[in-house]
Amino acid sequence: MKQYLRIKGKGIWQLCALIVLGVALACCGEIITGVDQPGVATVGQVVPITVHIDIPTVGNGGPDYLIFGFLVPKGWKAAQNTTITYTSPTLGDGNMVLVPSTTLAKNGGGLNWPDDMKKTFGIGGNLIDDMEWVAYQTDKAFTHNGSEIKGDLNIQIKVGADNNDTQVKLGYVITDSGNGFTSDGNGTYYSEKITDCFSVTGGTGDFVDFCHPQLTTINPPKSLDNDYITLTFDGNVTTTALTGADVVYLCATAYTSDGQTIVVCEQTDKTKMVQMPDGSKKYQITFWPKSFFGTTDTQTIIKMDYFITDKTGATKVGYGNTSSPFEYNFKCS
Amino acid sequence: MLLLGTLFGSCKMEKVGPAAEAAKDISGNWKIIKATRNGADLTAIVDFSQFRLNFNQGKYTLVNKVPFLVGQNGTYALDDPKYPFKISFTAGTATPVATAFNFPIVNGARQLTLTFSPGCTNNTYVYVFQKSN
Repeated sequence: MKQYLRIKGKGIWQLCALIVLGVALACCGEIITGVDQPGVATVGQVVPITVHIDIPTVGNGGPDYLIFGFLVPKGWKAAQNTTITYTSPTLGDGNMVLVPSTTLAKNGGGLNWPDDMKKTFGIGGNLIDDMEWVAYQTDKAFTHNGSEIKGDLNIQIKVGADNNDTQVKLGYVITDSGNGFTSDGNGTYYSEKITDCFSVTGGTGDFVDFCHPQLTTINPPKSLDNDYITLTFDGNVTTTALTGADVVYLCATAYTSDGQTIVVCEQTDKTKMVQMPDGSKKYQITFWPKSFFGTTDTQTIIKMDYFITDKTGATKVGYGNTSSPFEYNFKCS
Repeated sequence: MLLLGTLFGSCKMEKVGPAAEAAKDISGNWKIIKATRNGADLTAIVDFSQFRLNFNQGKYTLVNKVPFLVGQNGTYALDDPKYPFKISFTAGTATPVATAFNFPIVNGARQLTLTFSPGCTNNTYVYVFQKSN
């Protein structure tokens, strides 16, 4: 005969379940509860951003520093153009300071904090790999003593140091120096927040769109004529006159520092863009601009205009699927 | 006494000392067997097969050029002949350009690994060379 354990009073079970749930929810790990960030700004403007944080702690841990990562375009030189303070009734007020690049991330497999952030969170859904994580830590440590630390990180960043109009998704992560980006039975010790597309206008440089897919991209995004550049035409972005082509070709004009223009517009192996991988509708060519355009040793290419063509050269696709060429400036910042 | 004399006399001390380190000889023709740009492999998508880097009696020659530490032929030097940490290239009268000298033995053959930035300083290239004989 089966016997079942019976405890009088269902309420005891419910109470126990509630306590366990409460402990689980209250236990451990930093949380970003919200980010107040404007949607637009102009180049050179100092933008205020507030990151709201909540750190439930358990007893006998630390002292640890709060680690904060800020994902921004490299061209903004955020480490030099940002100040961050924190305000917290429990932790007190203070400054966030840059983490030295020689400091290794806890549980980061030998990487420093910015590299560990990039490995763990990538570039936050942005489409051009010209972003960086800038790592900060609190100027004082906190202990995990069972209390809940709430507070705000108050960021002041001067945007657009590269003078480029930009659309970008900014990113924010927090953890602490004793745990890093890990989870265990007690909880998850980090939190990430990527915001919607942020728009910077008023610049006189290039327009850089990290948010939306582009018909063509160049990697590395910043390069000179003595780099190898990889140009990719993405046929998935929209239907163009080249949709369905097996191969496409690059038709380009280089502008040199001595006022020359050099046109390479042929449909040969030299300009052929192959689908990589096969069937992906992404066509790619990697070349050394100095050699591709045949410049002399004293000539420097400062700019390149280009179209993507079919194998006859008669069908051309340009910037935004128009008849205007794509443009690329050779520069490092 | 005679026995003791024989006993000690029969043994000869052998002096064991460290063998002298040989000077690093990089002379010859080198070809690229692997190349990366910012960590991404370029070897399969760029044709490096025609490029040669020749070292001969303090001079280097570039054949079928690719982006490199230097763009012209010139002279090279190691900072130490036996224990080099750096190799420097001087193209004509230009300022010498130095980079770390890595010269490991891999699968029984010497490899020469050079790291440099020919364009933007943020773009880092690593070429791994092997003798092309």
